[in-house]
Amino acid sequence: MRGVHRQGRRLRAAPNRLGRLVPLAVALVLALAAAGCTGGGREQAGGEAGSSQGQVLSITLDGAKNREAELQVIAQYLKQVGIDAQVRVWEYQTLVAEAQKGTRQAYATDWGSATFTPVDLAVPKLETGGRGNYSFYSNPDLDALFKEAAAATDEAKALEAYKKAQAILFEDAPWIFGYYLDAIEAASTRVKNWQPSMDSRINLHDVELEGGDTLVVGLRADRILSLDPAAYRDRDTETVIRNIYDGLVTRTPDGKVVPEIAESWEQPDPTTYVFKLRRGIKFHNGEDLTADDVVFTFERILAEDGLDGQPSPRKGLLEPLESIEKVDDYTVRMKLANPSAAFLQLLVHTQIVPKDYVEEVGSAGLSAKPVGAGPFRFVEGSLDGQVVLERFDDYYGGSPDLPPVGPAKLQRVVFRMMPEPATRIAALQNGEVHIIQEVPPDLVAQLEKDPNVQVKVTQGTRLYMIELNNKLFTDPRVRQALNYAIDWDAILKELYKDHAHRVATAMLPSGFGYDETLKPYPYDPEKAKQLLREAGYRVD
Amino acid sequence: MRGGWVLRRVLMALPLAVGIVLVSFILLRVMPGDPVDIMLRGGGTSSEAEARALARQLGLDQPLPVQLARFVGDLARGDLGESIRSRQPVGQVLLATLPATVELALAALGFAVATGVALGVLAATRRGSWLDRAVMVSASLGISMPAFWLGIVLILLLAVGTGWLPTSGRIASQYAGTVPWHTGFLLVDTLLAGNLAAFRSALAHLVLPAVTLGAELAAVVARVTRSSMLEVMGAEFVRTARAKGLPEGRVVLRHALRNALIPTASVVGLQAGVLLGGNMIVETVFSWPGLGRLVVEAIFARDYPVVQGAVMVYALTFLVMNLLVDLAYTWLDPRIREA
Repeated sequence: MRGVHRQGRRLRAAPNRLGRLVPLAVALVLALAAAGCTGGGREQAGGEAGSSQGQVLSITLDGAKNREAELQVIAQYLKQVGIDAQVRVWEYQTLVAEAQKGTRQAYATDWGSATFTPVDLAVPKLETGGRGNYSFYSNPDLDALFKEAAAATDEAKALEAYKKAQAILFEDAPWIFGYYLDAIEAASTRVKNWQPSMDSRINLHDVELEGGDTLVVGLRADRILSLDPAAYRDRDTETVIRNIYDGLVTRTPDGKVVPEIAESWEQPDPTTYVFKLRRGIKFHNGEDLTADDVVFTFERILAEDGLDGQPSPRKGLLEPLESIEKVDDYTVRMKLANPSAAFLQLLVHTQIVPKDYVEEVGSAGLSAKPVGAGPFRFVEGSLDGQVVLERFDDYYGGSPDLPPVGPAKLQRVVFRMMPEPATRIAALQNGEVHIIQEVPPDLVAQLEKDPNVQVKVTQGTRLYMIELNNKLFTDPRVRQALNYAIDWDAILKELYKDHAHRVATAMLPSGFGYDETLKPYPYDPEKAKQLLREAGYRVD
Repeated sequence: MRGGWVLRRVLMALPLAVGIVLVSFILLRVMPGDPVDIMLRGGGTSSEAEARALARQLGLDQPLPVQLARFVGDLARGDLGESIRSRQPVGQVLLATLPATVELALAALGFAVATGVALGVLAATRRGSWLDRAVMVSASLGISMPAFWLGIVLILLLAVGTGWLPTSGRIASQYAGTVPWHTGFLLVDTLLAGNLAAFRSALAHLVLPAVTLGAELAAVVARVTRSSMLEVMGAEFVRTARAKGLPEGRVVLRHALRNALIPTASVVGLQAGVLLGGNMIVETVFSWPGLGRLVVEAIFARDYPVVQGAVMVYALTFLVMNLLVDLAYTWLDPRIREA
């Protein structure tokens, strides 16, 4: 019998305290709680736990607005096998908070990869406690297997562990397994040498613009959080920051980690890395980049009060890193707490800042006027409007493994925040911007007809599924039945126009150790009915 | 006398402001969803300890009354706090986005009043004609068209279709970074910089969002102006003016219109709030970097201090607008002044 954890972490008991404080507030709380759910009232979740033999299974699918269409169709499929299914739509954060409470039965969620490494893509955030999702599924056997694989130095052993884990996941069917989406971006045909990357970074070092020297990127973001590489945790911010700052290492479009500021590295033992730094690298303020800057950069993130007295939100991303020290001016040594196959991939997302400058102006000063060692230097910008960068002529050239090497081709780069997809597309077609992020699948056909536009597709790294509350659905046969009952291929084709791909379990096919022999649950309503009957439900 | 009246009005607004601050504070905090969680979830892995440390740093581990007391205390010192997500001072964040929103709202207001009054007067003076009917039909359309739809249609027609106007943003990218920030109003700043090309670009960028934002108000103004004009045109003093032999244009504009504008002014004043509220959608559609977009984003991220600060800006604006409407009344209608 596996333990089932309840994950009501970090929920403040606000309503209780308020209730004691002001009776009026209670009414407010109730009104708000009711208003938070567009479906209206808040009846108790029924689920399996309280059901008796011979009843119809009833299920409520909760989801945010963007997945309502999908959930409605799924409810129809469930009804066809005799399940009483309903859909409720929530504001996303409210849905998350509700899911954490553990009273919801089934909710549409998605998980992303933090580092985009094949290893990380292979590890669904499964371990109970401190993980980034809100699943009520917990399986110590699986946790052990994933841990073993992630820390393994022997590739064959890791592979074996992953395959075993997938087999268990598939049988257990703790969720209604879903799909991953393509990342669809587009550019003007005047843009040369640009490839979208899996981590949605936009690396403009190698890009050229035919007949122009100012390239404009339409970002999907409302605003970016900071221009300080230790003060953010979202991809959109990194997309801008990554053109101002460089890291010790970087990643090729196909996912290989290659040296950038580091010239080379060695790993004398599984928990030690020694990096040799490239000489002659200059920051935008003319200072030389040395080991002191690298040590400062990492210690600033590891410290409890590194950012003007506050912790860096990136601390958790560097988790295996225990300490870093300077060996000489161009050598640093890192110690890890435990072996980690994903460590180098984590370093791709940490950018080096100049020690003297940050000590002088503080974190707020760095964010206001960033200074890095990347291909572009900051000119001006507002975080919610547009950020303007200019070529840094003294750039050391970037990673030799990512040719061409040398200063950037573009004279100027503008990142513009454009949250509305229709506007991004209109601006691209109008020639106001040259690269845009995130094209909705149903607008791809329209864009492809435009001779001045190139649509670029790469694999996305978020998994979309419907999590079942395994505290309420304790019988694996019921969970399997739900997986058999839905014709996902039809839904995905209709809604995402061939830009969504099914997954057999919670792992991405591009991830390390993916078991290709596992095929997604087929659409088999008869099998679903049979399983439901076996589990004791009435199926007409 | 006059000063005392204004002061009384301002004092009456104070309890309202306090109420707004309290209610918005409570509503925000009881809203499900945790800012710390949202911040750390972006990257996937996050440890429990990390989350607790961050919550402690932000003061979110304190009981609500303590948080409220701290908030009110800071507020009394004029400190709006720090954005949870970006760690920037809220006052600074708001000030950075406010000019864009005010510029857009003023442009929309100008558009709405100018077209609304003109169309209303035209329709009233040609009552029953095809022009009157056309104005009334477009007014109904203007009221019923949702802003995001109208915005996208305008973009498709006037920007992508013809290339006449830009689709989004505040200024063309080639001017980005070339205009020094003085007031934050790009129209003013570009003129101060003496950069006429940049001014034209800023003006062109303002047209579509201002029209989209002002469309509904323009329609309301047109209808109100029309009906009050019709009412006033039949009034005694208008007949007197006509009987004195004044030219019709003078009768309409000087005598009738001034009186007909009283209901219009009150509608404009009350609906000006819609310009602020509606800007969330319009700013998103046109990638306009203003307060509305900031607020939407902050609400989704549960960035309490930013939402709180923005709510106060909105509330303050409403209070000031109402005050201005009352003042406009007394100017338009001397009877109120005496009362």
